[in-house]
Amino acid sequence: MDPRFIRNFSIVAHIDHGKSTLSDQLLLQTGTITQREFKDQLLDDLDVERERGITVKARAVTIKYVHHGQPYELNFVDTPGHVDFHYEVSRSLAACEGALLLVDAFQGVQAQTVANAYAALEANLAIIPCLNKIDLPIVRTDEVLEEMRTVLGFNPEEVLRTSGRSGIGIDDVLEAIVERVPAPTGLAADPLRALIFDSKYDNYRGVVIYVRVKDGVVRKGSKIRLMKKGTHHEVLEVGQFRPMNTPCDELGPGQVGYIVAGIKNLSLVHIGDTVTEASRPATEPLPGYKPPQQMVFCGMFPIEATDFEKLREELGRLALNDASFSFIPETSDALGFGFRCGFLGMLHMEIIQQRLEKEADIDLIQTAPNVTYELLKKDQTVVTVDNPQEVSWDGTTEEFREPIVKVTFIVPADCIGPIMQLCSDRRGTYKSTEYLGPARAQLIYELPLAEVIYDMHDKLKSITRGYGTMDYELIGFRAADLVKLDILVKQNKVDALASIVHRSLAERRGRALCKRLKEEISKHMFEVPIQAAIGARVIARETISAMRKNVTAKCYGGDITRKRKLLQKQKEGKKRLKQFGEVEIPQKAFLAVLDIGDE
Amino acid sequence: MRSRPGGRAVSIPYVPWEPVDPLGVPRAAYVHVPFCVHRCGYCDFTVVAGRDDLISAYLDALACELSRLESPQPVETLFLGGGTPTHLPERSLERLLELVREWFPLSSGGEFSVEANPVGLSPAKLGLLADAGVNRVSLGVQSFDTQSLATLERDHSPELARQTVEAVRDRFPECSVDLIFGVPGQSLVTWQTTLETAIALGPTHLSAYGLTFEKGTAFWGRRLKGTLASIPDELERSQYELAMELLSACGFGQYELSNYARAGHESRHNATYWANGPYFAAGPGAARYVKGTRETNHRSTTTWIKSTLAGRTALSSQEKLSLEDRARETLMLGLRRTAGVFFEAFQKQTGFALEEIAKPLLARDWLRDCLAIDEERIALTREGRCVADSVVAALWE
Ligand SMILES: Nc1nc2c(ncn2[C@@H]2O[C@H](COP(=O)(O)OP(=O)(O)O)[C@@H](O)[C@H]2O)c(=O)[nH]1
Ligand code: SF4
Repeated sequence: MDPRFIRNFSIVAHIDHGKSTLSDQLLLQTGTITQREFKDQLLDDLDVERERGITVKARAVTIKYVHHGQPYELNFVDTPGHVDFHYEVSRSLAACEGALLLVDAFQGVQAQTVANAYAALEANLAIIPCLNKIDLPIVRTDEVLEEMRTVLGFNPEEVLRTSGRSGIGIDDVLEAIVERVPAPTGLAADPLRALIFDSKYDNYRGVVIYVRVKDGVVRKGSKIRLMKKGTHHEVLEVGQFRPMNTPCDELGPGQVGYIVAGIKNLSLVHIGDTVTEASRPATEPLPGYKPPQQMVFCGMFPIEATDFEKLREELGRLALNDASFSFIPETSDALGFGFRCGFLGMLHMEIIQQRLEKEADIDLIQTAPNVTYELLKKDQTVVTVDNPQEVSWDGTTEEFREPIVKVTFIVPADCIGPIMQLCSDRRGTYKSTEYLGPARAQLIYELPLAEVIYDMHDKLKSITRGYGTMDYELIGFRAADLVKLDILVKQNKVDALASIVHRSLAERRGRALCKRLKEEISKHMFEVPIQAAIGARVIARETISAMRKNVTAKCYGGDITRKRKLLQKQKEGKKRLKQFGEVEIPQKAFLAVLDIGDE
Repeated sequence: MRSRPGGRAVSIPYVPWEPVDPLGVPRAAYVHVPFCVHRCGYCDFTVVAGRDDLISAYLDALACELSRLESPQPVETLFLGGGTPTHLPERSLERLLELVREWFPLSSGGEFSVEANPVGLSPAKLGLLADAGVNRVSLGVQSFDTQSLATLERDHSPELARQTVEAVRDRFPECSVDLIFGVPGQSLVTWQTTLETAIALGPTHLSAYGLTFEKGTAFWGRRLKGTLASIPDELERSQYELAMELLSACGFGQYELSNYARAGHESRHNATYWANGPYFAAGPGAARYVKGTRETNHRSTTTWIKSTLAGRTALSSQEKLSLEDRARETLMLGLRRTAGVFFEAFQKQTGFALEEIAKPLLARDWLRDCLAIDEERIALTREGRCVADSVVAALWE
């Protein structure tokens, strides 16, 4: 395939601005899929993601398109749409030369529009801006065009008018992809260099490697080398995504497709690695990506202890297709055997948890997420812990350190005040302000990661009416006056409810937490006191009063079986509860620590 | 004198407890009549509303099901429940009464109860019942408060309820009034007025049930949506306690969690359930307990009719309990009776020691206030009655 007739592009947009709908429309109108094959949101093939309307795992499709009599091959590489997966977005963008940027014609420029546009610019992509959902009964065409100009620097003339719903402007989009996105460069004669932008585990064929070829050619029978580990493999099949995996003869410069090389071990295949020829390796690998950084950890425990092995298998299965997720066994006095899991962010965590419950039918208790801490011991060794339980308070610790991130906010100028207030409430250190125009500014803060992950993004959104965007990167660990906040339920310490908090916030958090737990734990036949304590000192207390009335209606018609089953079910309905002494604590309570917010 | 673990003695009415033989031939029968004018929002009984077209098929199916008894089964108590048995038009009602009397001849001195609702309970229908030997009518009054009646989606007025109670009382030896508390919007005072009104009408028997939200009912959905809320725990408890106090002060002894009667007017049919004794049953959704096997007919009226007429059984569940589970049930049911469960009778009836089966209850600290235990029996205290479901649920923990 002559690279001159190849175009590689992504679509980036703020969530809900119509990326999936427009993608489907592109595939339909080019006949890549037929109406019959068309399933809603074809590209989001994982249920959980479809439910949430977001794509998490990047995938790709090859579209055949004829422009002025000349057949073209358009490779569409899909991207995830949430800040947690920022890392995966840049991964997809690195496989492309261009990007469609969709902006909802009513909602206008939003947080992720900006973040994604910047990501695309950083990757040196040609951007095709589109005013999408133009069929909406109410659109704010002029205002949104103006926003796109001031915030993103697009001329109104270059912005396409599109609608994935009604099909308006799809031809223009296809034409613009051919005309505005540069053709890939690269020579077929050069040694093979192909970027691995994703991989998937297939039970029958082993690892399917998703690649974008930069130089050279790969075909069935080629001997390849994965540059990072230096392992050699024979290619059993190459193919394209049309949209189902379809074998082809070869993949040449500029092409996007997959390689099956009989690799059974996913850990050999690194996203961002370069595939080259075994006999004639390239000297330099492609730039690749930063490894994903796990930011959030939590415990996952099966409610039924017998589900432990099943949970291990399921986690293993998920980790196969998600290199950014990790898990190791852990034990809790309160919850028994489970796993400590690491995630890119909160959304990532929620998705994995939901997928587990849905696909594996395991009832889980998930503990409140936390970040990694460092303990500087008296003997000057540094210990990393990602579990509040492992923090020892035995006097061998000299310093307690927490991760600090540099946070970049881009916010409307009139929101600077409230954002600064938010950051100072969250123990932030101010770094700089820079105006990007009269109406937008970039603020930089250093903040403890723990203060950022839970709800900073939501807070930012609400303060800035959705127009704020943020991004963060880890810059290191810093000493802080942290304490372990224990929770006692009816005098029993429940380790899984413990959290690490800054001393100055401990009392407020303790009070709020007791209050939330009081709402979550239902009445028992006896009083249930809930206490928050630092060491032996109780800093907050609430009491759940005893149940006062519980007698059901009549045993009608002598249906005693039913009556008994109802009573037994009362017991079974408690499946999602965990028994602590005589107190039953519902699953949800373990996450209560999350939404106690800023009371 | 034997010593018993835990608990403390309180005075509880003493009604001796005769052991029953669950494997013996039943002396009680229940027949379910599923028809109602409309379905009340809280109702999860086996009911069809607005399907009077099914009545004749229902009667055919009932005849069919009863004929499987092979020979008439003399009983001491016969209960027609619903639904609203008296919703049937006179001709059908007559046929129903004939049918059940044919298959379940009542021994002399037996109790023949029928459930009825005020609307449509004409003097003619009352006459039919009386002529057929019905001697106990249980009226679904539920409330004498217009507001509560509306909330419950009942179709009668307080006035009609009053007139109906009077008519029934004057005509039948036993007249029972069903009331419901815990109705959204019902205050302690309106409940008191309802109780007083009922007492003043002079029935022989009163039932007072707490409203429950059952899965699948309109109320359940409304509560999920937040358009209907249960009343506070504490208020519902006060209403229940008020019923216990007021009724016993007026001569209605509480003999079961929800049932009160003038001395000697306790329902004998229900006593079979609470003693875990055997009983026949017929009709959709009806449950029988014969030869140690519990069976429940299909709860869909149309399915029950179809299968029965096709000569098939229409069971939705069938279970033969282990001896131990049977004993546990005996305790579960027995505790509903105010008199409690007697050690000796329990042992005789079930073959298990009561303290063995009741162990999960006795082991629990928090149940101390709920159970009254003396040499002869275990009973619920007043506290225990208030939370009876939680107490009994502990049996399976
Ligand atoms: N009116 C209109 N609605 C659209 C259009 N495209 C998407 N939508 C709706 O906007 C919502 C989000 O669309 P989706 O494609 O899932 O957005 P994504 O999150 O960017 O993938 C859905 O309810 C779509 O039906 C469009 O062109 N016009
Ligand atoms: S009258 Fe009774 S059986 Fe009929 S629908 Fe109402 S509550 Fe149910």
